[in-house]
Amino acid sequence: MSVSITSYLLVALILFCVGLYGALTKRNAVVVLISIELMLNAVNINLVAFAKYGLYPSITGHIFSLFTMTVAAAEVAVALAILIALYRNKETVNVDEMDSMKR
Amino acid sequence: MDTFMQYAWLIPLFPLFAFIVIVSFGRQLKEGAAAVGILFTAVSFGLAVLTFWQRFQEGATDYRFSLDWLKVGDIVITMGFEINQLNALMLLIVTLVSLLVQIYSKGYMHGDERFPVFYQYLALFTFSMLGLVIAPNLLQIYIFWELVGVCSFLLVGYYYFKPEAKAAAKKAFIVTRIGDLGLFIGICLLFWWTGSFELTQIFDSIALGKLEPWMITLAAILIFVGAIGKSGQFPLHTWLPDAMEGPTPVSALIHAATMVAAGVYLVAATYPLFIASNAALNVVAYIGGFTAIFAASIGLTQKDIKRVLAYSTVSQLGYMMLALGVAGAAGYVAGTFHLMTHAFFKALLFLGAGSVIHAVHTQNVFEMGGLWKKMPITALTFLIGCLAIAGIFPFAGFWSKEAILGAVYEAHRYDLLLIAILAAFFTAFYMFRLFFLTFAGEPRGKHEAHESPGVMTGPLLILALLAIVAGFINTPYAPVFGDWLLNGEVGTIIEDMFGTGEGHAAAWLQIVALGVSILGIVLAWLMYGKRSIPSNAIPEAMPWLYQLSYRKYFVDEIYHYAVVVPLGWLGYLLNVFDKYVVDGLVSLVAKITRGIGALHGRAQNGQVQSYGAMVLFGLLLLIVAITLTAQGGGVLGIGQ
Amino acid sequence: MTGEFIAFFVLSLLTIGGAVFMISFTRVVHMVISLGITFISIAGLYVLLGAEFVGVAQVLVYSGAISILMLFGIMLTKHDASDEGTGNTWKNWLSLIFVAVLFGLMFWGIQGSVWPAPPETAASDVSNVKQIGLDVFKKYVIPFELISVLLLVALVGAIIMAKKEGNKE
Repeated sequence: MSVSITSYLLVALILFCVGLYGALTKRNAVVVLISIELMLNAVNINLVAFAKYGLYPSITGHIFSLFTMTVAAAEVAVALAILIALYRNKETVNVDEMDSMKR
Repeated sequence: MDTFMQYAWLIPLFPLFAFIVIVSFGRQLKEGAAAVGILFTAVSFGLAVLTFWQRFQEGATDYRFSLDWLKVGDIVITMGFEINQLNALMLLIVTLVSLLVQIYSKGYMHGDERFPVFYQYLALFTFSMLGLVIAPNLLQIYIFWELVGVCSFLLVGYYYFKPEAKAAAKKAFIVTRIGDLGLFIGICLLFWWTGSFELTQIFDSIALGKLEPWMITLAAILIFVGAIGKSGQFPLHTWLPDAMEGPTPVSALIHAATMVAAGVYLVAATYPLFIASNAALNVVAYIGGFTAIFAASIGLTQKDIKRVLAYSTVSQLGYMMLALGVAGAAGYVAGTFHLMTHAFFKALLFLGAGSVIHAVHTQNVFEMGGLWKKMPITALTFLIGCLAIAGIFPFAGFWSKEAILGAVYEAHRYDLLLIAILAAFFTAFYMFRLFFLTFAGEPRGKHEAHESPGVMTGPLLILALLAIVAGFINTPYAPVFGDWLLNGEVGTIIEDMFGTGEGHAAAWLQIVALGVSILGIVLAWLMYGKRSIPSNAIPEAMPWLYQLSYRKYFVDEIYHYAVVVPLGWLGYLLNVFDKYVVDGLVSLVAKITRGIGALHGRAQNGQVQSYGAMVLFGLLLLIVAITLTAQGGGVLGIGQ
Repeated sequence: MTGEFIAFFVLSLLTIGGAVFMISFTRVVHMVISLGITFISIAGLYVLLGAEFVGVAQVLVYSGAISILMLFGIMLTKHDASDEGTGNTWKNWLSLIFVAVLFGLMFWGIQGSVWPAPPETAASDVSNVKQIGLDVFKKYVIPFELISVLLLVALVGAIIMAKKEGNKE
């Protein structure tokens, strides 16, 4: 018996929930970013799993997850650049101190 | 030959145009506003003279013009104008007095900061009053009736920075409003019963007997209530003396010559309605008579020169009402005649008083005195006015007052005759008390009085001339005016009802009236001129009587405690209710809303993670909602 | 108990364990190490799913580039190189409840859904990598080029933003 798609989905779900919790609660912006990466990875697992076990198995899931990785890489690069610029101005990377939208 | 009468509708429009011009360019015109007002009113006056002259021609007929204004179902409401004898006469009086007052005001109001505003109001008032007197239907009358009320309010409150003036303006407006309400109800009832606002149609309905007697009585009395309010008859007279807080030219124009006479005019204009009901006529007569003697007795003791004149106005208006109320052609003629002569000599007296006030800067007669030498023209014209109002031969007041007495005598109303004669005595006394206190004796105040400028004395002289000669148009020997006045449609109705009354007193009555007036003058001279009778003899002998008169029979106090205070309490209670119940509910809603808002405001804390949690919460709600509504279960309906 | 199952079990345990440790550690070095374990395990899962190219890309991009980038980010912005922990507690509890509810709902959904039977054999005659290459350059050539532009823009943007603002002259 091979591993069912449900198992993969459950792993992805747990990973997603852990990432979500981290993204909502961690104070350090870099850790928040990492958590978001975790969520993206969970999505990728789903995509690849569906590519093999889904209703219409095809290679498209792989390609899509590659695109996701690329975009995630770009996102991380830009986000870290923003963080560094912010850190230079405000001397902090704590997200709960970044509430200048309110003022 | 109706050419001028056809264009009579232009008469009110000139002052309206002046009003618009002064409103638009008042700031630029400054005191030139007077010229605009005078010019346009003069044009109106010219047209009014021509109209009057034409109406006065032999064989002239009433001119009536109307056009449809509103069509409500089968009912057509029209607007238009009418020129009959009464209207033409009123047009003449109003334009003339308005013109003279505006000329006079140029001097009196000189240097006032709101000079153009004053002329705005005057022009608007002139327009409204002229519109009132040419209105052919009750609706139009009512519209202009309210407009003159507004103008009166504005002009009484002209010195709005004085609290007394503010209070007086409010009082004038509110008290006349009570009367206006009566008039309004009366108009509504008449419209309900006859289906028309047109005076002529209402008269026709009455003539055809379409209305029950009680309906006529009720409608007539309600219309008379309007007249009571406007003409300051008892018990709504209290606003008129207070209205003297306005500038003196205003008192002369509005509160002596024209607007307060509107009540008398209204009764005269709807006279066929009144003569159809004896009860209504009696109400008019007795209220008029009572007001005449009541106000005259208050006038005996007042110290403010303008208030004496104000009570005198109330008294004289009561006289007119009395004349109208005793019925008959003679009463109608006498009342209208007195309306005209009174307009002239009362405007004269007020303008004279204004001239005095302008010179000495006080209104208290006990601080005047000795002005005869310093202000000869004012003094002379004032004397003429006093003689006229006291009814001394051959001044205007003599003829009109004698006509009233004659009408009352002919109607065999001896109780009213007695009241009228007594009121005439009082009138003569207090007018000459005023005259002697103001002009005779030694100066009592510290003031440098000097004669007023020509622009002020000019109108005085014209009015004085009119006060002398105006009476001669209706002497018992040549009742030109009376014959003319009764020559129209209304006159025909009256004559059908009562027959032509001669309306002039027997010779002995003339002598009695003259004697009583002279007695009053002599008494005033003895007390205040020669001072052979100490003027405080009566107050000391009968202090309660003096107080009663001086405090105006405590009518103001009675109103205050009977009406104002209970209403104040009611208002207070309602205010408490409003504050704690209504406002409580409102502020409860506000507090709840604000609380929810504060909650949301706290949610907007600018922290991304909180927003993220909120988004997640929303997503959860969405998922739950979709799950619950999706048929057959399965998240997002997958796998079915 | 096939080998595939054992491999899946071990890899998923490492993935989830690495993620949980990453969240709960405070020291930066530990965090990055557990993150690396997670990423590599995910790559293993990809291989298990027959996506070798994606797995390799995962190792290259995530385990290699992004982990190191994160490490640099943390090191550049933090002085004491340790996480300051989480913020106020009621928010954390609320987040935890929300996440748990989401998990519950999703779990229920996954369990309640019926999935098609897995295909017996994947078409392995054509190489996975070759097929991806064919698809990317035939079917998805425009998204592919757009992605490359995006990367370029992100590169330039990151440099401009991270550059010191003061040295313009």
